[in-house]
Amino acid sequence: MALFEVGRLCVKLAGRDAGRKCVVVEQLDPTYVLVDGATRRKKVNIKHLEPLAETIELNSGASHEEVKDVFEKLGLDVFDSKPKQTPPRKKHLKKVKDKTEKKTVKAKPKIEKKDTGVVKEAKGIEEVR
Amino acid sequence: MPRGMYRSRTFRRIFVKVPGNTVKLHYRRRKPSKAKCANCKKLLIGVPHELPLKMKNMPKTAKRPERPYGGMLCSACTRQLLKQKARGG
Repeated sequence: MALFEVGRLCVKLAGRDAGRKCVVVEQLDPTYVLVDGATRRKKVNIKHLEPLAETIELNSGASHEEVKDVFEKLGLDVFDSKPKQTPPRKKHLKKVKDKTEKKTVKAKPKIEKKDTGVVKEAKGIEEVR
Repeated sequence: MPRGMYRSRTFRRIFVKVPGNTVKLHYRRRKPSKAKCANCKKLLIGVPHELPLKMKNMPKTAKRPERPYGGMLCSACTRQLLKQKARGG
């Protein structure tokens, strides 16, 4: 009766899902174990697990669904990672401004102002005569 | 003499090099004390101590670790507590 054998129920002590019940799904190597159940399905160091007395029958490397059935039968809750629904990105079209156009537009009004001023004066003189 | 308000020790004195190539004395409020573990009174990791205004604008995850009892107990005390619960319960 090994301590961290496949199917051993234990409690995770460290990390985000500390205090949650999980089951050993696969023994990766003497220090690491694959764990699933109320915690996320992940590789965990056995130092961060507290083994409990109970064990459940589980074949090594069981999928999340198998673990889920067994856990639900035992009345334990299971962690289901919600698929990330990123909202559809609004495709804002880049306002393509021709840099060149901008420059010329700026330059023109300056010149016009000067001409019209001169022309007006000339006209004024003619009308007076 | 500095203004009345700055004559009390609630303000820290800080020497600052200013563009005029001189060293000026600035006053700043003191920060609240560091967070400590409720059990073993050690300093908590991952819990900043900033002035209330700055803390308010911080996201929640920046203010404490995302672990049960995060920000209350240090990691060792949390592990010990959970172990007792698992064994006792």
